[in-house]
Amino acid sequence: MEVHKINTPLILGNKTYKDITDDVTAPIKNKAGKLWWFAFLLSFSAFLAGVGAIVYTISTGIGVWGLNNTVSWAWDITNFVWWIGIGHAGTLISAVLLLFRQKWRLSISRSAEAMTIFAVIQAALFPIIHMGRPWLMHWMFPLPNTYGSLWVNFNSPLLWDVFAISTYFLVSLMFWYVGLIPDFATIRDRAIKPFKKHIYSILSFGWSGKAKHWQRHEEVSLVLAGIATPLVISVHTIVSFDFATSIIPGWHSTIFPPYFVAGAIFSGFAMVQTLIIIMRKVANLKNYITIYHIQMMNKVILVTGSIVGLAYATEIFMAWYSGVELEQYTLINRATGPYWWAYLTMVLFNVLSPQLLWFKNLRSSIVFTFILSIVINIGMWFERFVIIVTSLHRDFLPSSWRMYSPTYVEVLIFIGTLGFFFTLFLLYARTFPIIAQSELKTILKEENSIAKNKQANQSKEIK
Amino acid sequence: MSVKKYWKAIEDLNEDSVVMNKLRNNEFVEEISTEKFLTDENLKNGSTSRRDFLKYVGFTTAVASLSACDGVVEKAIPYVVKPETITPGIADYYATSIADGHDFASVLVKNREGRPIKIEPNNQAKYFGTTNARIQASILELYDNNRLKFPQQSEFEISWHDADYEIKTALTNKSASGKQIVIVTSSMFSPSTDEVILKFKKKYPTAKHIVYDAVSNSGALNAFEDITGTRALPLYEFDKAKIVVSFGADFLGNWLGGGYEKGYSKGRSLGDEDKADDKAGNKGDAEMLQHYQIESVMSLTGANADFRYAVKPSEQTYALIKLYSLIVGGYDGVGNLKINNTVIDAEVRQMAKKLKSAGDNGLVVTGSNDKNMQILAMQINIALKSKAMNLNKHVHVNKGNDKDIQQLIIAMNSGKVGALLTYNVNMVYSLANSKEFVRGLDKVQLKISMSKFVDETAKLMDFNFPTPHSLESWGDAMPIDGEYALIQPTIKPLYNTRQFQDNLLKWAGVEVDYYSFLKKFWQKNILTKKEGATWNKSLYDGVFSVSTNGNANADYERGLLKINIAYVVKKAVRFWNKTKGTELELYVKLSMGNGVMANNPWLQELPDPITRTSWDNYLTISQKQARELGLKNWNEANGAMNGSLVKLTKGNKTVTVPVFIQPGQAYGSVGLALGYGRKVGVKSEMQTGVNAYKFYKNFAKYSSNIEIEKLEGEHKFACVQLHNTLMDRDIIRETTFDKYKNEDKENWNPTVTVKTEKGKKQVAEVDIWKSSNIEKEAVGHHFNLSIDLTKCTGCASCVVACNAENNVAVVGKEEVRNSRDMHWLRIDRYYSSDMTKDVADENGLSGIGGTAEMYDKMEIASNNPEVVFQPVMCQHCNHAPCETVCPVVATTHGKQGQNQMAYNRCVGTRYCANNCPYKVRRFNWFQYAENDEFDFNLNDDVGRMVLNPDVTVRSRGVMEKCSMCIQITQAGILKAKQEGRKLTDADIQPACASACSYNAIVFGDINQKSSAITKEFNSDRKYYLLEELGTQPNLMYQTKVRNK
Repeated sequence: MEVHKINTPLILGNKTYKDITDDVTAPIKNKAGKLWWFAFLLSFSAFLAGVGAIVYTISTGIGVWGLNNTVSWAWDITNFVWWIGIGHAGTLISAVLLLFRQKWRLSISRSAEAMTIFAVIQAALFPIIHMGRPWLMHWMFPLPNTYGSLWVNFNSPLLWDVFAISTYFLVSLMFWYVGLIPDFATIRDRAIKPFKKHIYSILSFGWSGKAKHWQRHEEVSLVLAGIATPLVISVHTIVSFDFATSIIPGWHSTIFPPYFVAGAIFSGFAMVQTLIIIMRKVANLKNYITIYHIQMMNKVILVTGSIVGLAYATEIFMAWYSGVELEQYTLINRATGPYWWAYLTMVLFNVLSPQLLWFKNLRSSIVFTFILSIVINIGMWFERFVIIVTSLHRDFLPSSWRMYSPTYVEVLIFIGTLGFFFTLFLLYARTFPIIAQSELKTILKEENSIAKNKQANQSKEIK
Repeated sequence: MSVKKYWKAIEDLNEDSVVMNKLRNNEFVEEISTEKFLTDENLKNGSTSRRDFLKYVGFTTAVASLSACDGVVEKAIPYVVKPETITPGIADYYATSIADGHDFASVLVKNREGRPIKIEPNNQAKYFGTTNARIQASILELYDNNRLKFPQQSEFEISWHDADYEIKTALTNKSASGKQIVIVTSSMFSPSTDEVILKFKKKYPTAKHIVYDAVSNSGALNAFEDITGTRALPLYEFDKAKIVVSFGADFLGNWLGGGYEKGYSKGRSLGDEDKADDKAGNKGDAEMLQHYQIESVMSLTGANADFRYAVKPSEQTYALIKLYSLIVGGYDGVGNLKINNTVIDAEVRQMAKKLKSAGDNGLVVTGSNDKNMQILAMQINIALKSKAMNLNKHVHVNKGNDKDIQQLIIAMNSGKVGALLTYNVNMVYSLANSKEFVRGLDKVQLKISMSKFVDETAKLMDFNFPTPHSLESWGDAMPIDGEYALIQPTIKPLYNTRQFQDNLLKWAGVEVDYYSFLKKFWQKNILTKKEGATWNKSLYDGVFSVSTNGNANADYERGLLKINIAYVVKKAVRFWNKTKGTELELYVKLSMGNGVMANNPWLQELPDPITRTSWDNYLTISQKQARELGLKNWNEANGAMNGSLVKLTKGNKTVTVPVFIQPGQAYGSVGLALGYGRKVGVKSEMQTGVNAYKFYKNFAKYSSNIEIEKLEGEHKFACVQLHNTLMDRDIIRETTFDKYKNEDKENWNPTVTVKTEKGKKQVAEVDIWKSSNIEKEAVGHHFNLSIDLTKCTGCASCVVACNAENNVAVVGKEEVRNSRDMHWLRIDRYYSSDMTKDVADENGLSGIGGTAEMYDKMEIASNNPEVVFQPVMCQHCNHAPCETVCPVVATTHGKQGQNQMAYNRCVGTRYCANNCPYKVRRFNWFQYAENDEFDFNLNDDVGRMVLNPDVTVRSRGVMEKCSMCIQITQAGILKAKQEGRKLTDADIQPACASACSYNAIVFGDINQKSSAITKEFNSDRKYYLLEELGTQPNLMYQTKVRNK
């Protein structure tokens, strides 16, 4: 007779409800450690450097970047797509996994969503600062104006981007916040200092834990999850339209929407891995974010990574199959042209490296996962770089073929967004409940180690 | 005498009219109602108290005075009396000529509100009615802030009055003491100036006039003198030739004073423009000039030749002698030289055969400044009785005499010269033996420079007198016998300048200004040559032509007899006798000319048509020799090109110069452009390149025994085209004359089709868009532009014209290196490659690896490649990829076919530039106007005077591109409307089309069946660039036809 396999418990260490509250609110209650301050100062100074570079760009002109007449987008849009991609995991974890009833999402969803929001903020910076005249950015919105019938161009994918990203940002923010309300209330109730209490009571919107509150909270969460789910697909689909609807060989490709979405989830999960592996160590959350969680996410990475690999292969196949010479040249140029190293990095890091996750001991190794998650994000950055730069730099007329190389300003801006992202995340880690504790508590009874042991014993007895 | 009486009304006639009396006595007929107002009872009840009243008065006064402080209007001075001929907003055109000593052209100058802003060719001129890039750019020289602005004595300002007094006294002394007074000028072919100089000589009998051309054509002048007895140039008429063999003569560039564009274009025309209605098959009688070029440096002329042979200068000499012997006969071997063994023996035989059979349709020219070479070429033409070399109509644009200059230097050094007056020459810069000249200068007591700039020479002179620009001057010219041209000022001199002729007249004691002198001279001597000619009419036309008679063949027999060819050949060969090692050719770039306009940013930034490199000169070297010497050109990470540095040595002269590896450069020879390396009177940004005049010893264009030594370090080039081959793509369509004439159009210009599920279809039939009204209805104007690749030589005068018309910014060398040039119109140059898809098939290169290898090899240009030029600007697509992607609708489609840019709506996402398959959009990466970082003409109050007021100066962060000169088309439409007539082609010529000397660019309204563009539209040779994309451009190209 087949033995029922008992799932690994999602919460280790024989935790009680109180333990969970204690563990989650600990970083808020305690003073920040040296490590936190070090990390914070490092990210904050990176952020300031980025601000300086942005101010320099806006006051002097886009010319301080390395762009030219042929390659008019490069690091700016690469970073944009990269950050937007990273911003995909949060919603996927909280909304899509909710629909698939994956309980392991509970202990990571809060941080994944926070990451989403912070990443989207970074992403949203680039379309603004890459503009020649960013002070006119409001012209990108269909605002009523006094210029007669002047309106935005609804044919332009850039405009679709504006809508897609702002919608995604707002929905993610609301979803995240709604989930935070009961947890804020918990902190409020535990706070001793009046100032802190005051702040958290504002943030918790007067939550009192009544049944009616819970009911409404559940309803709103469900509705927002419903709205957020299609957004997971739509945002990166629309971002991919920036390229797919153009006529540049290497951009003009119908495979882009699914390929971009898979890539986004791939890189988003990798970034979640990076963050939670640090967080579980620093904030001592090993009992909540277990090896099992990491393994589960590694499986998602393996799947999406394989989809990305398939997409690369499909591009090559289609170039050959379509017989379009320009398409063929673009791909050959990517692999063997002056940017071969970017293409090689992309293939090694995105296609080959995640295949190692087939091995269980690698999949469950924290160190390996951590390194891999960074490798994947580097690889995904190169994917966008390859798509944008190698397609543009050699398109139709060889007379206009050019090269691109970034200036220090572009590099600083990118570092600045990393700094900004980590600054936000570090602040979040010290002031927000980093695990959705009230939700997590709903599974404590069946998912703690004692319960699991019991289940295991029962199944042994049956045997 | 009775007083006449006027009456205003019938009542006036009645003496006692009550009404009239009342009117006469009372100024105000109606009673003034002050009484009524003051006696108004309500006034007392009014709430306005005295204090209130004072408050109001005080307040209103304050407001009035405050508002007066506001908004100072700067530099906008309305006309008190409006000049009759100037209407703000309406351009005036004046016919005049540009003669700067190096170039000559009859032009029309466009004036707006009293400012000349654009130079256009004068189509009335039979000769020299074309504008090359330098002529087009000379408008900017007028507004050069570096010009000398007042007369100077030893760097201090002096008044004209004082200067005149001092100079007159000094000249009288020198003349009395018997010392020479030497006037050195550039070539001046002005009859009235000759008269002025005569007057001067009369006053100072020791005066002598020497003509100096920095880039000398003495060889040709002396050769012609030996043959005909007249020191002039023959008139070459390329339109009368069917076969042209050129030995290094860059006649589309700077050969013998230039001006051969029209003739060549006519000769190269396929005869299809006159009978466009004919269908294919009627081309049987079409003829096309066939062009052979034997040269070492790849010149513009060579690039356009049907057959080009890369041959080093010494071998060129042998080849020319060989050709002579084959055509005229007699000289198979000279001394120990076996002429039979020229490197291109078979080819020369072929040419000889063709020339012989062409007879008087043949023409041989050489670019050498060696008299003997020129004699050989001329003698071949005489033997052929060539119609294309007119011996009786002489060209005078070059007059310089090398011998005179060398004698002058000797005379100066021996102290015989008492006074030296230079005009428009910069000998210190451009003489090879400049040091000797400077040494001699010390021994001259009175040194006067007349020049627009304080240049290298002027700096060493006692007196610097500023002369006006051509556009501020009066003058005349006789470039060709019987062909006169006038120069009239188009603006009041900007600075305190005085013309050369005025100076001489003043110093000669002739108290008349040059204008009156000129007018009188013309009325007496020139206008009398033709009946009914008037001064005003000639001035209006700018040109004046007197028919000269003469039989072109008269001198042929005589000329042949006169020359001792054996001696000529011996001397020509002797030049190369001691030849060892590498040979050097000094050439002149289309952009920089002889270097007088070095301070002109438009010319500095104009990419050389062949190397596509701006802001530099360099040593061109063959691929093979570069490999041998380990010299390289490479690209930095951002694509900017760098090159190795070498030390170039000839005798005791050396220079450090970067190398540019040039496909088509003859092995064993190198080339270096003159006109660079200016240091004095030139802005630091414009001090580019190295001075090659150092090697211009004895004005010899070629020299041998050149040593090249590789140096450490690298040079940064500003090259705008990093990729040189076509990669076997269907971008330029090319066929041979034979195929074009005899084969069906589909064989050489196939229709572009796409495969669909319903079979093959023409591109235009497959479309996801609804066609717009403009395409369906053909109403209104629909502008199209056609570029004939057969006629286009890549001369780039359209590029400069576009800069001038559209206020295109100069961005400087560093930004060009960053691939951010702003030119709206670029001329792509492609070399052929040994690797093509067919070759790859033969060699079995297939699969991914093979294809990659094929593409790799395709990037390498052939050793002696065929060259094609393709001007590319905005294609004004009817289905424009840029228009759909702009999020703010800043780029839209006009009803007349233009793709338009609304600068003030643009937010600068640059998506349009990415999505443009032609990559013609230009982004303002920085603020280019009024920004010290870009210290060119847009950052200069004087330089900004050249701006076209009809075109916005773009600000930072916006996209720009070719507008199809919408300001011109709109003005033309308006003009036609006002005059109540239909639009004609002449109303709407954009800058590039009107500047094109070869008539390669045709613009017009395709909805008008009679327009020139309609013929091009229906031409068999028409194709669209990247037609398969379905962008449906309004620009078309005409297939290139090579006559081979």
